[in-house]
Amino acid sequence: MRKTIALGAAIFGAASGIACGGDGGGDLASADPFCQRVVPAVEAFMTQARADHPTPSDDRYGGTVVVGGAAELRGGMNSAGAVDYVSVQHHQFVNLMTLIDYDQDAEPRAYLAERWEVSEDVSEITFHLRQDVFWHDGEQTDAHDVAFTYGLVTNPVVGFSNPAYWDHYEQGDQAVEVVDDFTIKIRMRPHVDFLDPWRTVGILPEHLLGDVPPDALGTHPFGSECPVGNGPFVFVSHTPQDRWVFTANTAFPQGLGGRPFLDRYIYRIIGEQTTSLTELLTESTDVYLSVPPDQAQRIIDDPAVDLMHFRSRNFAFVAWNSRKPQLAAAEVRRALTLGTNRRAVIDAMLHGYAGVANSGVPPLHWAFDRNLAALDEYDPQAAATLLEEAGWTDRNGDGVREDAEGTPLTISVKYRSGAQLQKGIVEIMQSELGQIGVDLRPEAVEWTTLIRQTFNVARDFDGLIMQYAVDYRLDDTDSFHSARSDVGSALSGTSDQELDRLLERLSAAPDREAAQPLWTQYQRVLNEVHPYTFLYFPERIHGISKRLRAVEMDARAEFLNIKDWHLDPASR
Amino acid sequence: MRRLVASVPLVFGIATIIFFVVHAAPGDPSTTLIRPGLTPEMAAQLRANYGLDQPIPIRYVKWLGSMLTGDFGRSITHGRPTLDVVMDALPNTLLLSACALMFAFFFGIVLGAIQAVRQYSALDSTLSVVLLFFYSMPSFWLALMLSLSLTLFARNVWEWPFWFPGSGVSGTSYDSLSVIGKLGDRLWHLALPTLSLALALTAGIARYMRASMLEVIKLDYIRTARAKGLPERSVIFKHALKNALLPIVSLLGLYIPVLFSGTVLIESIFAWPGMGQLIYLAIGQRDYPLIMACTFIFAILVVLANLLADLLYAVVDPRVRYD
Repeated sequence: MRKTIALGAAIFGAASGIACGGDGGGDLASADPFCQRVVPAVEAFMTQARADHPTPSDDRYGGTVVVGGAAELRGGMNSAGAVDYVSVQHHQFVNLMTLIDYDQDAEPRAYLAERWEVSEDVSEITFHLRQDVFWHDGEQTDAHDVAFTYGLVTNPVVGFSNPAYWDHYEQGDQAVEVVDDFTIKIRMRPHVDFLDPWRTVGILPEHLLGDVPPDALGTHPFGSECPVGNGPFVFVSHTPQDRWVFTANTAFPQGLGGRPFLDRYIYRIIGEQTTSLTELLTESTDVYLSVPPDQAQRIIDDPAVDLMHFRSRNFAFVAWNSRKPQLAAAEVRRALTLGTNRRAVIDAMLHGYAGVANSGVPPLHWAFDRNLAALDEYDPQAAATLLEEAGWTDRNGDGVREDAEGTPLTISVKYRSGAQLQKGIVEIMQSELGQIGVDLRPEAVEWTTLIRQTFNVARDFDGLIMQYAVDYRLDDTDSFHSARSDVGSALSGTSDQELDRLLERLSAAPDREAAQPLWTQYQRVLNEVHPYTFLYFPERIHGISKRLRAVEMDARAEFLNIKDWHLDPASR
Repeated sequence: MRRLVASVPLVFGIATIIFFVVHAAPGDPSTTLIRPGLTPEMAAQLRANYGLDQPIPIRYVKWLGSMLTGDFGRSITHGRPTLDVVMDALPNTLLLSACALMFAFFFGIVLGAIQAVRQYSALDSTLSVVLLFFYSMPSFWLALMLSLSLTLFARNVWEWPFWFPGSGVSGTSYDSLSVIGKLGDRLWHLALPTLSLALALTAGIARYMRASMLEVIKLDYIRTARAKGLPERSVIFKHALKNALLPIVSLLGLYIPVLFSGTVLIESIFAWPGMGQLIYLAIGQRDYPLIMACTFIFAILVVLANLLADLLYAVVDPRVRYD
């Protein structure tokens, strides 16, 4: 027995020894030569910055905040490669800086760029950069970094995942002119929201990444092993699938508020929702991002935490494949919307945390047409009439409508396997549409298989339930313009000249005055063509510990004022 | 040594089969990067960046060649050398698995032996019911219940003076702790995942142990030991227990793969950054280099564990000898 215990102790000791090495165990050893070079430089600069900028005597300064998120920050701090919502926010507000950000009314305001000018014909924008922003290794952030970043995100070899951002910007050597170290001109074509990409893309350091081959950037250690930013928080460590640790950047410009109030910010990856809730309620985390609606009441009931919810920039929809004969007529597609009680879907599946959608323009956007809200209310009688008009009648009395040839109105709706919300929605649709003679069949498909079947030219689906997140810069060309049918997102395959014309005019509208009436008209026509059943605009729901103060979250972002978050001094 | 050498083609065979199975699955890593507006040219560029535009046999030859030189490539989702990603996660899984295994074997053997010695007693019946309860519980459900009761309820409802952490391998103040504090913190975080993983195994081992022990204590040599006046403790621990352990040792080889597959769920529930979570997410993202590295490492570990079980068998049973 003694031998057994001794053996056990030895194994445990060895294992603990392996796992104990570092922050949380298993953090990156930064053995890569790049990291070996940059980490000491960051440490040296930050040590000097702490000496030069002592923490002000204000009890808001200090403490550590832990945010629990569901997923790893994929791509890390490489803003040219990362695609997911939370990663991008870390570029915007945590580790990197964007040229501009948005105020509460979603109007552009200065950030890394202290001002900008646009030529009269909206063909050129000149950014003037702040001169007090430094990379965390001590190098100054300048216009060459902006030009470098622009070169990366517009380079097809890099594979930047949102190339449509740059549809209205010139590309190539002539597109950018570095006027001086802090002034850069970029040539473009008129577009009403031409500034939006600069809100999203974190500027990258040319002095560190300039010699990295563009196609190797996605796997470069800069992304997740030793990122060097210029934002309010400095990267400390990353334990894959566990946590990212950042510390306050004491050299952050005073003109932008100076160093953050928090000493440390930790992003923890907790995939299981029950665990995330437990961690918030036991104060192991301070923020629980993306609370599912069915957990919201549990958070409301707890006196130590607050529930924060707001309308997001997402919308959920069912794309109808109009290439399929049973879905070719707009009347049929519209009948499917009228026959779906979307308010009941929202109440049953989202506990009310959503609003009915009738287009992909989110309600917070200036282009949103409020008159659309009352369109297509649940009306099974009207839906049945539309189906009759389109030639679909229950000819054999089996409860399912058929066309003149006797083909039943059978529609399969594909959704991501394991997505309980989508499964529930499709099942409700199946029940409701079944009552008006539509044989709707839910079909669960594994995610990558689903994408393969739907986002390529094979278009192997009848209906597809999806959710998109949109930027402030709206452009439906890739989804609905008939000339872009080869693009992955041209799901519905509708072809309408009026829609095409409006999309083209919208794309060239130089300002809101010109674009607003076009957007209103466009949303009306889109409703007539009815490529999708727009389901709802979901709310984003988050749980916040009451000890955390000054948290502002809205459709712009969750981390937008992380620099101003502070802890109740008594709770530290 | 001969068995070790024989394991080499086995491991490569497993890896080869997995390579083709994984690549036969629909979708690839670029699928997960698809966004509205991505043109076919851009999608093709993304695929080319990851070398996915080449035929599968070419990719296999390249993968095999790289792997033989110890280069598992770079993880597509982590953007780091695959081996580094695996080596970050592997210690956490080994630690969790080793703790669960020790817990399960220690308590399984002890409880099984007690049940056999006290056959048909109230203690035997009670233990049987309790162990069957844990044996029949799905591990993910057990993990969630343990987390809710020993973390959330213990702190917020029952107001215990202590409660277990619900996730992670260490606390957020880990860096500022002393060495003893760090060890304590790690042990504290290990408690619930280990229990969740080990309880069902413990119950199984106890059932085997009880049966094995009952068989042994009825044998002639035990009767002889008692007849010659040896104390009961000596009869049980010195003579019966050792022989009853023989079939239990063979369970070791059987349970290690079970343990590794069990970590997939347990690690997800407790946000434990180990191999289970890593491979689960890698499969979802079609991160081919990472899937291959993980399965290769798992294959090696399982082969080694079976080898270890065989060697232990020889240690416990002097009749077994390997030339």
